[in-house]
Amino acid sequence: MANIQEYPRNKDGSVYAKVAVDRDLCIGAASCIAVSEVTFELDGENKAIVIDPNTADDATLLMAAQSCPTKAILLFDKEGKQVFPS
Amino acid sequence: MAIPYILMDKFDYLIIGGGVCGATAADIIRQNDKNCSIAVVSDEPHPLYSRVMLSKPEFFLGHIPFEKIWMKGTEWYEQNRISFLGGRLATALDTAQKTISLRDGTRLRYGKLLIASGVRARTWSGPGADKKGIYVLRSLEHGKAIMEAVKIKKHAVVIGGGFISFEMDDLLRKANIEVTHLIRENYYWEPVLDEASGRMIETALEKGGVKIMRNKEIAEIKGGDEVEGVLLKDGTEIACDMVLCGIGAYGELDWVKNAGVAVNKGILANEYLETSAPDVWTGGDIAEFKDLILDENIQLGNWVNAHEQGRIAALNMLGKKIPFKFVSFYTTQGFGISIAFTGDVWTVGNNRTVINRGTPESGSYARIILKGNEVEGATFINRTQEMSVVSKLIRQNIDVSKHHSELADPNFDLKKLLPTPTPEPIVISN
Repeated sequence: MANIQEYPRNKDGSVYAKVAVDRDLCIGAASCIAVSEVTFELDGENKAIVIDPNTADDATLLMAAQSCPTKAILLFDKEGKQVFPS
Repeated sequence: MAIPYILMDKFDYLIIGGGVCGATAADIIRQNDKNCSIAVVSDEPHPLYSRVMLSKPEFFLGHIPFEKIWMKGTEWYEQNRISFLGGRLATALDTAQKTISLRDGTRLRYGKLLIASGVRARTWSGPGADKKGIYVLRSLEHGKAIMEAVKIKKHAVVIGGGFISFEMDDLLRKANIEVTHLIRENYYWEPVLDEASGRMIETALEKGGVKIMRNKEIAEIKGGDEVEGVLLKDGTEIACDMVLCGIGAYGELDWVKNAGVAVNKGILANEYLETSAPDVWTGGDIAEFKDLILDENIQLGNWVNAHEQGRIAALNMLGKKIPFKFVSFYTTQGFGISIAFTGDVWTVGNNRTVINRGTPESGSYARIILKGNEVEGATFINRTQEMSVVSKLIRQNIDVSKHHSELADPNFDLKKLLPTPTPEPIVISN
């Protein structure tokens, strides 16, 4: 079973209502942190966690997800549909 | 005979290199300029894939589906009207005429050029180098070759002491292959790491079934067509059916140098990733750039750095003037241990102060490296969660001269040394 940690997002005007990290896929490359360190951090298991799902704007959040070399960051819209990776 | 050029397409933005630096740059340029022409030339036939995934055992053993390797497919290039010229090697540059020549004779004109051509893995070049069964890990083809090999091979010899060889050990052991790891030095990762950190990694490797042989170098790779063993310089022979090299990388620089662009070990660039030639930028593993935080020229080989340089180089090619200011880091994990580096971790001959944080005996141990009053770098064994905050200490040039005892206290929350919230990163807008 996939080990996915979900983080609800309620930023005004954002397309994304949820950020999720697939901890089985995450390898701690930390590219997400490079793009948006207000959003992501590594935990003691060398996995990305979301420390603040609301501050980053949509473009930055999408770029952080796109930068992940294992596509471990998932973005969901308000209807709960996964919009990245599509 | 000179090969006549086939066509002379002109692109407003021409990018040499289809890795994460080049593809990210193409993406950013398209986001900001809907009408310009963009081409990406790659010596590999594939569109963007995850080079990072190549050395991850989960991927190798099929726990992560192979399709996950693709990051941007050919359809992404089509949708974004970016010409992808795969399997094409750039061989000459003319900065006066603003042209790039490809190996097949094609010549392309450019308005602005980004060279993000990457580096090649160094392989064994001594006696026996022609035998089948010698592997490096850099490209998708290399990865596929190793994936096939581990299905039938029994005993590997791994050479080199760094991130790639550590990850090679992990994937080989998970594939139930016997592994003998030869280290030229006294301990793993000497002299980048201290002995205590190196021994922690060795202990993890040995518990995982890797046989480590220190102070050893190959004299010859033995066998017929195929690798059958290695002969060491001390006369020892080890039977094996594969040799994996994690011994560094080099850039193909001649074609750039011949164009009069300044190079050293990489293509030299200032903090804006501009080379010495007008309208020519560089980024990724091939770039040797002016690092404003460390105040020295450095060349780095990792995904995160290449991604960020692609982003900044693209914005500057679009007319902005944004310095590349980034504390680079590496992380890996395997054999029940996590390893992370941030900033400049080189201490030898650099007159650095090193503060040890935690102890090897406790199983979690970091080294905070100071230059004067500021943190310059750090290495972490089983303390990766502190990498982000230490990177912030480095980037914000925090004076830690009065905080050595806190840095040495493994239970002290390093975030308390950050005086202000971290500034927002540069926001990309369409």
